[in-house]
Amino acid sequence: MDIKKVYNSKSVEEVIDLLGEYGKKAKVIAGGTDIVIALNKNVIEPEILIDISKIEELKGIREEDEYITIGSTTTFAEVVESQIFENNLYGLHKACKMVGSPQIRNKGTIGGNIANGSPAADSVPPLMALDSIVTLKSIDGIREISLEDYYLNPIKEKELLINIRFKRPKDNQILTFAKLGLRKALAISRLTLSSYIEFEDKTIDSIRVASGALAKFPMREKEVEDYLLGKSLEEKTIEGAIEVLRNSMDERLKGRSTLPYKRVAISTILREILEEALAIEEGVKAW
Amino acid sequence: MKLNIVGKNIIRVDAQAKVTGKALYPQDIYLDNMVYGKTVRSTKPHAYIKIDISEAEKVDGVLKVFTYKDIPNKNAHGVVLKDHEAFASKKVIRIGEPIAFIVAETQKICEEAYKKIKIDYEEIPAVFDPVEAMKEDAPKVHGDSNIIYHFKLRHGDIEEGKRKSKYIVENIYKSPMVEHAFLQPEAGLGYLEEDGTVVVVIATQYPHYDREEVAINLGLPEEKVKIINTNVGGAFGGREDISAQIHLALAAMVLKRPVKVIFSREESFLAHSKRHPMIMKYKTGADENGYLQYMEAEIIGDSGAHCSWAMNVLRKAGVHATGPYVIPHVKVDAYAVYTNNPYTGAMRGFGATQVPIAHEQQMDALAEKLGMNPIEFRMKNIFRRGSMTATGQILTDSVPLDRCLEAVDERFKFSQLWKEVK
Amino acid sequence: MVNINFTVNGKPYEISIDENMRLIDVLRDELGLIGTKEGCGEGECGACTIIMDGETVNSCLVMGFQADGSNIVTIEGLEKDGQLHPVQRAYMEAGAVQCGFCIPGMVLSTKALLDKNPSPSDEEIREGISGNLCRCTGYNKMLIATKKAIEYMKGE
Repeated sequence: MDIKKVYNSKSVEEVIDLLGEYGKKAKVIAGGTDIVIALNKNVIEPEILIDISKIEELKGIREEDEYITIGSTTTFAEVVESQIFENNLYGLHKACKMVGSPQIRNKGTIGGNIANGSPAADSVPPLMALDSIVTLKSIDGIREISLEDYYLNPIKEKELLINIRFKRPKDNQILTFAKLGLRKALAISRLTLSSYIEFEDKTIDSIRVASGALAKFPMREKEVEDYLLGKSLEEKTIEGAIEVLRNSMDERLKGRSTLPYKRVAISTILREILEEALAIEEGVKAW
Repeated sequence: MKLNIVGKNIIRVDAQAKVTGKALYPQDIYLDNMVYGKTVRSTKPHAYIKIDISEAEKVDGVLKVFTYKDIPNKNAHGVVLKDHEAFASKKVIRIGEPIAFIVAETQKICEEAYKKIKIDYEEIPAVFDPVEAMKEDAPKVHGDSNIIYHFKLRHGDIEEGKRKSKYIVENIYKSPMVEHAFLQPEAGLGYLEEDGTVVVVIATQYPHYDREEVAINLGLPEEKVKIINTNVGGAFGGREDISAQIHLALAAMVLKRPVKVIFSREESFLAHSKRHPMIMKYKTGADENGYLQYMEAEIIGDSGAHCSWAMNVLRKAGVHATGPYVIPHVKVDAYAVYTNNPYTGAMRGFGATQVPIAHEQQMDALAEKLGMNPIEFRMKNIFRRGSMTATGQILTDSVPLDRCLEAVDERFKFSQLWKEVK
Repeated sequence: MVNINFTVNGKPYEISIDENMRLIDVLRDELGLIGTKEGCGEGECGACTIIMDGETVNSCLVMGFQADGSNIVTIEGLEKDGQLHPVQRAYMEAGAVQCGFCIPGMVLSTKALLDKNPSPSDEEIREGISGNLCRCTGYNKMLIATKKAIEYMKGE
């Protein structure tokens, strides 16, 4: 670590100006749960460190019109404690609840989970399944990008991640999540899946499925979506979906040592998200 | 007789200091005029080395970089064989072996100097598989042979045992290397007392051994060396070998200033011993009535680059190889073998932990062949009072294994479930 | 150097620190609060747990300057008028203390849990200390200690 100057910023404008001025010499820190490790091991060596965790504008969860907006420095614990993420938005609650440990969830942020760019970021698949939009700001202006496209065009040196928003789902639109880790706490995800399903009775009227740790970054699983769309969610549909996902994994992860394991493990994880969606649709409380 | 302690719930004497955060571990001690140390470790498993410390010693704030050349007397330590060098001299034999010890005014300066140490590695063939290491033509870690120790146990007549066995199972079991991961990474301080006594403050399992090793390496009489044991943040066998003791004592003696070192978690992993991985080849036979008749076992323990407690651990594995069962005809060969892997030593169980993986699965496999409830099969063969072990010991006192098995069976409802499944 | 103002164990501090210090370094090296332990330096073990503005955090994952304006409780701040906190007492009595290196963090996680949820289920207790590793006990003693602490706190 060889940091020359630090800022406890109070406003977005101040941060944007600093990033505009210092560019790649500067790094933004919020929860710190990833970046402090990187700093301490000299994986990154910025001269300027800008704390954004005290900026009011970036904090908290807001419901406005048809959108729910999560400020970038909202912690995982805050998502878990929010009543918004019950019922049909349970998938995001569950994903955030499975992050790290109580200490990590108290500090780690949704914005950091995205900006850090890890393929195993737990909150990203549910946010992607919700078709979320990321808002970034820099001295050059505002940039909005869908989370699905974000990983192809991620945060730039001068940008600050402001928030992420998605349309509030209707009662028949259900978000679920499942994770495979090596143990319950503090496990980096080996495999995560999230689905957002609109039901018409048991029939899948629209669907988005997103995965984590199955590629270089979290991604939509369009082949599974295409397969499930319009089908009634029952045992043979689930079996079929597992096969479809296995086939696309076989192509994508060809030659990887983890493939044989993930091929088997995926069946439980995919089954969990689909069965949980159906249960919530049928009125079972998931928590 | 009225007892004050036995049978009572007693609070540990150190519990209050620990729950209030007042208990001191070496990293918690700060002395006036203190400087910091950092160990430079090998990044190659087997290589000839040339060390250049000249650039590192020029860094402002560096007091000295110690290497093997600075050891005043013997550059050798080890709990059984003196096969560790305090600093590698000609050849490194594992990743993590100490090569140099940087002492500087601050930890940050140590890091800076660390980047300027130049080590030229001339890599030579290494051996990582203990079975390979036993072969004549394998690369040698020390001397002419990698076989450190061979424990032989012969009991009864193996051929007769075989003849009497209607059922024989033969399997190979492998157990992995395990890290102790005690929560307090190694740390320590060295300083001089006014009369020249060298003091090392460290969390150790063996202050008396440490004292002897420091005295021998530094060429001091033992009464001029003092080891102060602080609270020990977990050990489980991983603090039985030397970590920073000799480096700290040497630096304090030469520089005449208190020196402190704290290992990171990664360095802790590299620095201390591990549990011996074992390859256990077992043949076990029983007669048609379910009585064990013979057992033949070959156990190969990977000692890594140093002996540490290898002979004691492999002896214990060999002695416990039968498990708690009466077997009239037994042949055990246990070997400890050098490789260029991380070195292995003491860890909870000390060799007795690995063999149950083998002997208990052998019991289950035999019970299956006999079509017998595995609990019933064990009850027929377990040690009881008066039994003779394969090493010839008659068990005269408390041997309540039957009661233990019965209790476990009852609570697990194992036999009941076994009957239902049958 | 950067100036920070914060409160630790009820005492206000105004100090100047190196920008490169983590909060654990500030607490240990600057304030001498050595009860906060470093076991891994990456948020896996929880030995460095402190309570910051009412929430447990790993002090090895917070930069020192970020603590500006915060209210911190470390293990040294739990005793009141020379009396142990009920969680400390329960840990001692339950035999949950062995090597002791995890204990400051473990006690603080337990306290923070009980502050929020005075009567947690077994599952919630286990979840509450899931960010704190112990290599000695196997955790059951912590569960017993926490239940004892709940009783003591009800009696207060």
